[in-house]
Amino acid sequence: MGAIRTNGLTKRFGDVVAVDDLDLTIEEGEVFGFLGPNGAGKSTTINLLLDFIRPTEGSVEVLGRDAQTNPEAIRERVGVLPEGYGFDDPLTGREYLSWAIRTKRADDDAEELLELVGLTDAADRLAGDYSKGMQQRLAFAIALVDDPDLLILDEPSTGLDPNGIQQLRDIVRQRADQGTTVFFSSHILSEVEAVSDRVGVMNEGELVAVDTIEGLRESAGGHATLHLDCATPPGDMGVDALAGVAGTSIEDRTLVVDCTEPAAKVDVVTHVAERATVEDIRSETVSLEALFNDLTGGGRDDARAPEEVPQ
Amino acid sequence: MTLRDVARKDFTAARRSRGLWAVMTLLGLLTTLIAFGFSGYRLGPAETVIAIFRTMGGMFGLLLPIVALVASYMAIAGERESGGVKFLLGLPNSRRDVFLGKLASRLGVVTVGVAFMFTTATVMAVARNGALPLGVVAGLFAVSLLYTAVFVAVAVALSAIVAQRSRAIAAAVGSYFVLVMLYVIPGVSVALVVRFVHQTLLGFEPNVDLYNAVLYTSPLIAYRKAMNLVVPAQFERRVLQRASEGDVLPAYLGDEVSLLVFAVWLAVPLALGYWRFEGADL
Repeated sequence: MGAIRTNGLTKRFGDVVAVDDLDLTIEEGEVFGFLGPNGAGKSTTINLLLDFIRPTEGSVEVLGRDAQTNPEAIRERVGVLPEGYGFDDPLTGREYLSWAIRTKRADDDAEELLELVGLTDAADRLAGDYSKGMQQRLAFAIALVDDPDLLILDEPSTGLDPNGIQQLRDIVRQRADQGTTVFFSSHILSEVEAVSDRVGVMNEGELVAVDTIEGLRESAGGHATLHLDCATPPGDMGVDALAGVAGTSIEDRTLVVDCTEPAAKVDVVTHVAERATVEDIRSETVSLEALFNDLTGGGRDDARAPEEVPQ
Repeated sequence: MTLRDVARKDFTAARRSRGLWAVMTLLGLLTTLIAFGFSGYRLGPAETVIAIFRTMGGMFGLLLPIVALVASYMAIAGERESGGVKFLLGLPNSRRDVFLGKLASRLGVVTVGVAFMFTTATVMAVARNGALPLGVVAGLFAVSLLYTAVFVAVAVALSAIVAQRSRAIAAAVGSYFVLVMLYVIPGVSVALVVRFVHQTLLGFEPNVDLYNAVLYTSPLIAYRKAMNLVVPAQFERRVLQRASEGDVLPAYLGDEVSLLVFAVWLAVPLALGYWRFEGADL
């Protein structure tokens, strides 16, 4: 049984298709990073999981239950850090947290949770007066109440300083090690890369890739560019003919080889070393970043062709 | 059942609202002043006290809806606009818990408010006149509370339907106009419109009972009629016009029917509001 399972999930707002025929399964116990540029449909998907909004078509199951039939039963076992929340009631951080603990009928110690997210000193101030980062910490503490089986975190690092992001990561990792399933969204690749077991990439409402980080790297084709600095300008040495080589070019004394397979690199180096004096070798792997940009068309703004961009 | 947690948090927040305390103080002062300034003509002490509350009842008819609407118009719309609803529903609360919890809390707030107004007025009235007709005062309090509850129900329901502050304000003002003002402003009143349509446009014979029945759909008219139920006979007022002197009002225009009018105004808006909130994308 998956912790989250969507089936042909579609959500339209008028003419806009926010989520388009999404089939996604999150296994129990995994940390799943939900990646995509702004407006890709990540929050819409999360709002559908939590029954904040209703699907146009398809179905959602969370922890084996239909998300709409009995959302309270799901909320008993899920910790949520939503996006677009607000602490508008004149309550202190501690009171908000105590309210969450009471509502969940949990026996957490509010002090411990406040300590964990680094809010002990601010606990008795009104949550509405907190900075964005502190509100995010409080919202995270609320999500952690009652040690949920599933953590759903929408852009959890929003507003956090680097230190806060590190703490968040540590807590997420630690909870995951204890068996909690974590589903979190982000538009920042490095964040997802650091903690996720698996990654799903959304773009314009569609899921364009689901894989482990390693798998994604591989699907980048093990693409690498080799720079071989030679003692004298290299001539044509037949490198193009080697298996796994997509192309070569010569820049001054440097031979640049574009490899499509990781294994090709060694062959290229051996081949060239037999025919010329190689002084230095540099290798550049195609970064995950490049792959992410590739998958998402470089983000929402760049996705359109230049002539379509309104002047 | 987490309705209580929703209500408790909302009530705590309301208790800390300085604006609410300020309004309460002003209303308490107002009722105290009325009780102080009232002088009955050839009335005994108990009658004077009843007359004071009867006078206040006339003012309450216009004032209590404002109190209720102001206290409740943002109950749910505010949570939706600010994103507080994401916490409410991220925790194990159902939409029904949120809806009913908010309703309960806001009913609690106006109950405290109306009780405060009655207490200040009673204290002053008793101090000045030395008599306390407890049954009548309690009865008027109950009727006034019911009347206020109608507008809390309307406001919470509207608040559950709209998603923004601006629309919530418009809905609250609109409902005051439609449910109260249309029945009291001379010139644009519902009674005249109905009479005009029935007699002039449709060409029917005048039918005062019909016009009265239409008027009676207003919670304000119902409140005026309901007060007749709890005051001694000499203080009863004729709320609806009669075709000719000595005519007896048909049973469906009796004072007791006001309770039915209240019940409908409580149930229908709440049902509609809940239904829309249950199906809404938040």
